[in-house]
Amino acid sequence: MAVRHDMNARILLQEEVGPDTFLMRFEATVISEYARPGQFIMIRLCGYEGHDPLLRRPFSIHAADPDKGTVDILYRVVGRGTRQMSGLAPGMALKVLGPLGRGFSLHEERTPVLVGGGLGVAPLLFLARHLKGQGGSVILGAVTSRQLLRLDAFENTGLDLLVATEDGSAGVRGLVTGVLDNLLKDIGSHHARPAAVYSCGPMPMLKAVAGVCMEYAIECQVSIEAVMACGLGLCLGCAVKARHDGYVHVCREGPVFYSDQIDWEQL
Amino acid sequence: MKSEKEIKQACSSPDISVKIGDLELKNPVMLASGTCGYGLEFADFVDPSSLGAVVVKGLSLEPREGNPPPRLAETPCGLLNAIGLENIGLDAFLKQKLPWLMERNVTVVVNILGSTLEEYQRIAARLSESSGVHAIEVNISCPNVKKGGVAFGTDLVQAANVTRKVVEVSSIPVIVKLSPNVTDICAIAKAVEDAGATAVSLINTLLGMVIDIHNRRPALGNVFGGLSGPAIKPIALRMVWQVARCVGIPVIGIGGIATAEDALEFLMAGALAVQIGTATLVDPLASKNVLNGIVDFLTKNNYRNLVELRISS
Ligand SMILES: Cc1cc2nc3c(=O)[nH]c(=O)nc-3n(C[C@H](O)[C@H](O)[C@H](O)COP(=O)(O)OP(=O)(O)OC[C@H]3O[C@@H](n4cnc5c(N)ncnc54)[C@H](O)[C@@H]3O)c2cc1C
Ligand SMILES: Cc1cc2nc3c(=O)[nH]c(=O)nc-3n(C[C@H](O)[C@H](O)[C@H](O)COP(=O)(O)O)c2cc1C
Ligand code: FES
Repeated sequence: MAVRHDMNARILLQEEVGPDTFLMRFEATVISEYARPGQFIMIRLCGYEGHDPLLRRPFSIHAADPDKGTVDILYRVVGRGTRQMSGLAPGMALKVLGPLGRGFSLHEERTPVLVGGGLGVAPLLFLARHLKGQGGSVILGAVTSRQLLRLDAFENTGLDLLVATEDGSAGVRGLVTGVLDNLLKDIGSHHARPAAVYSCGPMPMLKAVAGVCMEYAIECQVSIEAVMACGLGLCLGCAVKARHDGYVHVCREGPVFYSDQIDWEQL
Repeated sequence: MKSEKEIKQACSSPDISVKIGDLELKNPVMLASGTCGYGLEFADFVDPSSLGAVVVKGLSLEPREGNPPPRLAETPCGLLNAIGLENIGLDAFLKQKLPWLMERNVTVVVNILGSTLEEYQRIAARLSESSGVHAIEVNISCPNVKKGGVAFGTDLVQAANVTRKVVEVSSIPVIVKLSPNVTDICAIAKAVEDAGATAVSLINTLLGMVIDIHNRRPALGNVFGGLSGPAIKPIALRMVWQVARCVGIPVIGIGGIATAEDALEFLMAGALAVQIGTATLVDPLASKNVLNGIVDFLTKNNYRNLVELRISS
């Protein structure tokens, strides 16, 4: 069985890296050692004796450094829990449970193409660092240039960085799917190694990415979200409609799925 | 002769075993149905055989796929869920999950559900034949499809009928799990006692709802859901107190228990054992901490067993 721990993790760093968006670094040695790209952690915010907010909050692992024993998350303030997190200072500790879920399956014989929209870049940085040396590309998209996150970090991964913004304020004007379409066409005609797509972002974007990949018959993995209570496969609350029958559970069978496992019409 | 130290030690380890009918539990802490999977999903955190019992996710005869998402919504100190009784079905449980639990000597209670009296009875009969299943817990909060979808557990006659049907075919203890969504919990408890239940457990979740104001629609795919967690503890405790005083069979307390102090309140109110539900979802170690805390409390305060905790009035 996978190694999972509930750790008392000290906050080492809290840095605003975009609009309402923060990078938080924890000292969490065991989690940093076992974490795989695409996995997530659950953070407890109600203290050790309190009950509010009751549920832990799930976050993708943005980076893990086993040498330093650190784990990073990239998060946006969207509600009570994340607002509370943004007010915490280094030195304080939180209960962090992880690493959880099934991450990306790495296909080393293929050319990696990473596609991230908005906060979807969070799990992709960890993945990009794992893929170092294999070549490939990363396509990052946002509504406007101000919302592009962690570009400098992605530049250092050695992958070709392509950017798309809806208002054209940086990179190509348009959506990541346009850039992806061109890239897959190019890889299809010029490279011996077929592409493998790894993606994370808002559901409509993932659906569109899955559509493009289907056209080119390219394997596509997506990291998806659902409201969670336990993150451990206990409550069956994190269900998403499966393509074939019934539901898949994001915390246990995911959060990374092959795009053909999901029923995109029902989302 | 025993040394003073030995005597002290004997005094300092209270008896925490409990009996539900013929079934002896090594301690009063159980995991509640629907919050511990099939008992094996988090064995890396808590050894399920160290607990009094594990009540597995409610099983139906055939697998059920459950409700459309969203299935969860957070409330102040609470959780609203509408999982919709998703489960792998009886056969898959017996084949794929039970052997693992047996190998590890886990005390297994199987929570069962049905949409007809016959379904409840057929599951109970199959479970009684299976070694490795120690007791049945009957979830009577399910809609009766033959009675217009009214929950069995909210109707005196139906609650008694389900209990009788299950007891008829069971050779292991039958615990009936009561719904709190009734006007008179004692009347239902007495009805299932008269129908032959070995014990009652309570409470199941309270019916509730949450509205997502940004999208102007109910937060749950199923509109209504069941409320659990610390928010429901005072209601659960009141009901356990009442039921413990109106029936003669053992009462198992459930509802918002997250700490040893919470569990001790239920034991003082008259519960013989407790179940930990939502707390496990927040902290996988909750049950272990509750158990250790109960033992510490008994030891520190010189209680020799759990019955001494009970408030007699
Ligand atoms: C596997 C997984 C990985 C995630 N990774 C990241 C990440 O790397 N960075 C990040 O910022 N966020 C991530 N999220 C989403 C994050 O968990 C939620 O934003 C967070 O729980 C909101 O908490 P809150 O208390 O601030 O908001 P709440 O007050 O609980 O809710 C505020 C709003 O956020 C929405 N929301 C709540 N929970 C979720 C959820 N699980 N998914 C989507 N929307 C939600 C609510 O519907 C509501 O509109 C991830 C979610 C999952 C399931
Ligand atoms: C996610 C979830 C699933 C549940 N599933 C079941 C079930 O299948 N059968 C059942 O009898 N009770 C089920 N329950 C009810 C619990 O077993 C328990 O009675 C209730 O949650 C109150 O206890 P708590 O506050 O400690 O969680 C479920 C509760 C939750 C939160
Ligand atoms: S969040 Fe509980 S099963 Fe996935």
